Amino acid sequence: MRRLVSVALLIALVGLLIGCAGADPDLDQNTFAPEGDVARMQRDILIVWVLGPAAVIFVVMQALLIYAVIRFRRKKGQELPRQVHGNNRLEYAWTIAPAILLLMLIVPTVAGVIELGRDAADDALRVRVVGQQFSWTFQYPDLTDAEGKPLTVFGLPGEVGKPSTGRPAELHIPVDREIGVTLESVDVIHSFWVPKLAGKLDVVPGRTNSMWFNATKIGSYSGQCAEFCGFQHADMRLIVVAESEEDFEAWVADQLEGGGAARSGAGEPALVSYGE
Amino acid sequence: MVGALRRLRQEGESYQGVWSWLTTVDHKRIGIMYGVTAFLFFLMGGIEALLLRIQLSSPNNAVLDPDQYNRIFTMHGTTMIFLVVMPLSAAFFNLLIPLMIGARDVAFPRLNAFSFWVFLGGGLFMNASFFTGGNILKGELGAPDAGWFGYAPLSLQSAGTGIDFWAFGLLILGVASMASGFNFIVTIFNMRAPGMTLLRMPLFVWMTLVTSFLIIFAMPIITVALFQLLFDRLYGANFFNFEAGGQPLLWQHMFWLFGHPEVYILILPAMGIVSEVLPTFSRKPLFGYPFVVISGLAIAFMSWGVWAHHMYTTGLGPIANSAFGVSTILIAVPTGIKIFNWLATLWGGAISLKTPLFFAVGFISMFVIGGLTGVIHSIVPSDYQQQDTYFVVAHLHQVLLGGAMFGLFAGIYYWFPKFTGRLLHEGWGQLHFWLMFIGFNITFQPMMILGLLGMPRRIYSYPEGAGWEWWNAVATVGALLIGVSILVFMFNVVLSLRRNDQAGPDPWDGRTLEWAIPSPPPAYNFREIPTVRARDDFWHQKYEEDETGRPVPIVGGGAQEPEEEEHAEGEGHGIHMPSPSFFPLIAAIGLPIIATGLIYDAAIVAVGVAVLVVGIYGWALEPASE
Amino acid sequence: MSHTPAALETGTGLDNRKLLMWLFLASECLLFGSLIGAYLLYRGQSVVGPYPEDLFDIPFTSVSAFVLLMSSVTMVLALAAIQRGDQRGLRIWLLSTALLGLLFLSGQAFEFTEFNHEGLSLSSNLFGTTFFVLTGFHGAHVTVGVLILLSLLVMAWRGRLTQSQSLNIELAGLYWHFVDVVWIVIFTLIYLIQP
Repeated sequence: MRRLVSVALLIALVGLLIGCAGADPDLDQNTFAPEGDVARMQRDILIVWVLGPAAVIFVVMQALLIYAVIRFRRKKGQELPRQVHGNNRLEYAWTIAPAILLLMLIVPTVAGVIELGRDAADDALRVRVVGQQFSWTFQYPDLTDAEGKPLTVFGLPGEVGKPSTGRPAELHIPVDREIGVTLESVDVIHSFWVPKLAGKLDVVPGRTNSMWFNATKIGSYSGQCAEFCGFQHADMRLIVVAESEEDFEAWVADQLEGGGAARSGAGEPALVSYGE
Repeated sequence: MVGALRRLRQEGESYQGVWSWLTTVDHKRIGIMYGVTAFLFFLMGGIEALLLRIQLSSPNNAVLDPDQYNRIFTMHGTTMIFLVVMPLSAAFFNLLIPLMIGARDVAFPRLNAFSFWVFLGGGLFMNASFFTGGNILKGELGAPDAGWFGYAPLSLQSAGTGIDFWAFGLLILGVASMASGFNFIVTIFNMRAPGMTLLRMPLFVWMTLVTSFLIIFAMPIITVALFQLLFDRLYGANFFNFEAGGQPLLWQHMFWLFGHPEVYILILPAMGIVSEVLPTFSRKPLFGYPFVVISGLAIAFMSWGVWAHHMYTTGLGPIANSAFGVSTILIAVPTGIKIFNWLATLWGGAISLKTPLFFAVGFISMFVIGGLTGVIHSIVPSDYQQQDTYFVVAHLHQVLLGGAMFGLFAGIYYWFPKFTGRLLHEGWGQLHFWLMFIGFNITFQPMMILGLLGMPRRIYSYPEGAGWEWWNAVATVGALLIGVSILVFMFNVVLSLRRNDQAGPDPWDGRTLEWAIPSPPPAYNFREIPTVRARDDFWHQKYEEDETGRPVPIVGGGAQEPEEEEHAEGEGHGIHMPSPSFFPLIAAIGLPIIATGLIYDAAIVAVGVAVLVVGIYGWALEPASE
Repeated sequence: MSHTPAALETGTGLDNRKLLMWLFLASECLLFGSLIGAYLLYRGQSVVGPYPEDLFDIPFTSVSAFVLLMSSVTMVLALAAIQRGDQRGLRIWLLSTALLGLLFLSGQAFEFTEFNHEGLSLSSNLFGTTFFVLTGFHGAHVTVGVLILLSLLVMAWRGRLTQSQSLNIELAGLYWHFVDVVWIVIFTLIYLIQP
């Protein structure tokens, strides 16, 4: 049985490896290769608490099923089997035992919900994210130019009926620093998701959701809208660029020099109108 | 017009051919029409699925443009749920419930016909939306494009009439479902043969009862939500308009408050079917009958308290997310009880490896995965990653295709001989099973990996280099294999009907009352209403148990009786059956006309109302039987 | 006639049609529950006027609620009449019930018009949206009820409603009382209890 489990896990692992082999780092969204504390915690909960136990239960149940069908298949001239109607002890056992196992899952669930649902730390870098069909806009309320205008990176809003072009908007962040994000939408529901850094949170018009995450390694991380938002939903992408504190400062200074004229990663800025 | 129709009707049971089907109130004929219609919609939804899979088979593919992709995936989901699994289940309710409880028909035969015609009208109406987008031959589709879940405000913003067709279509289908829900509850409560106590009812009857209650309580909620959406779209109301203070999340709450019971509306009938098939082919009674019944009831109750697990990532806050996480974790307990009892039913049996059993075992096998992935999704913090990825797509297909559809196919193979008098060919049947089972696993297990690799749902295309190419190609191959298996099934049906391999009344050595009567059953079902003395009554007519609990055949018991009956008195003279009626059909035609009018022109509404009123008054005033 | 419900002993002892009506009304509870829930959720959330406190005329609506309440009394009398075979009483009380229903509906029409003059419409704000849809659904139910009552009245006039068919009146009555109770709930929650 143990061999079966290890074989199954091996197959799964090999599968995942085949899957990501050759993945473009700019496009890789593998949730099993996290580079942030949130995504790492989510992967660990998944594997340790559920995927692992589920794999074991899966193998046991399928083995029992296959065994039963083969072992108890009808043989020639076989008499009718004994008519067993049930067994209350067994029933209680397979009610209570799974219930206890399942109740244990409350621990990671509640602990995880509370940890991920907490407010961002006081020293976190605050970013206001605005979703719009079919692009993202990032604003740093604490990073202002001489006139007090906050640094804003505009994405290219898509046009309904036309495919998107160019590189998606970039969200620059310093590595190893907590990022506190608020999410707003100007039109329909979107979902902010950078799989290698953190699970998703919806961007709902008429309300402001907030979350926190960080990147623990310098690099760029692909993300995309995870709630169906219409025609060009598939192209509503973003890239998180995690850089060293110095590089980030330099990038901010460079941006603000242009008079706070925020620009999109794709070149020409496209103005997005949304309520201040 | 009423007079003319009444004159037509007075020709009574002499209707022949098509007319007899249009006016039938016989639950078996209505069941067959439900089944055939649902299967045609299944082909439609299947073709849509294949188009989606072909589009996704390689990166940056352009078989479908984004607009077409969005419309087709919306219709695929809507079709499979509302036009395939629900009506296919309804087909089994219709065919089996009166037979299993020892009744001559359902409580309201004309209401039953009305349900079917409304369902057909609603399905055609919804699919008619394909033609409203311009020239369909140029690929200009007009179908809804906001997903089967129709989240506001995207569904408000969507241009064209697709969403209106979708919303009105669902409202019409809701009428059909609710009418049949009421009908089957009354039938099961009121029409049972003497001695058929609640705890002697076959499991399938129980699951039908539970499903019907879920339907009549869940449908009103989606009805209100759809009306709200339509008021917003057509008359400028503000229910989901965030600029006026409305909350888009209200739609999600209402949709999923309906939607999660709906999931069990889809799966419970299949569970009931499997609970009938396993005992027959293991030649053992269902293990732990009362526990299987109670776990079904428990699932139905709990299904009202888990809806927000579809909304973990909408920002409900830690308390709501924890509460719904816990309730979702716990709904796995009654589900597990069912699976263990099915396994114990097989255990120690003398299993005949026939096609229905293959599908039933395939159901359990796939449903185990569906259940386990369900538990995986219930863990809120890690689900923030899986939500809205292909992992969810894999999970829901494990439950609805690997689960519900495998169960329904088990039922088709099991009861086909009862209603056609002919056996389905075993070899082709098993080929169908293996192709479908293998195809299913090749299609949907890779989707779990795709989900973990971060591929979101509902994207029409993906760039090269994300690491998703290989698994998507594999999934498409699997989907084509499922398509082939369905062709094998269709071939098998045609072949078997022509082969004329007579089934006889009781080909599987069945346990429940439907096997006590000829195949196909006469219009009146039972010449004499049976008196029930035990659970699995027909089995106990055939066998008694010795001291060790082994069954011993009763000489001259059970099975022989119906054959005599068949020849004995020919048509059931002296048994009055409900008269055929046009009025349910007429009333049903009124609804899509009204909906069309509300979308396009108020004058058409008047026509629809007139048709509906003629139907209802004609129906109310005609005597139920001559 | 072995299939007709009346001839068979039913499993619950309730006539099929009566059980159907009870189930239908149970289902309707969720319909009105959802509508009332939406109203309560959006209460006080309108970003522009007119607001309920500017429009509600409690004395007027109290009178029309009373009218509907009285129609339940006449409905009971109609049922009592047919059950003791009093055809004349049946017609009188059916007619009174239908007329009281119509009176309630005209009151509602008047109220809708008044509110409209004050600037409230389906699209003006959340109050307008939820108020008109909720009370409109209720009004539609009353309208259907009145149509049923009038149809029964015509049948009674043509002598096609005999004592043995009192179930028809009973079913119509169940529906009518339900619609009435729903109005009491709406009137209390929406008109009387103001936050």
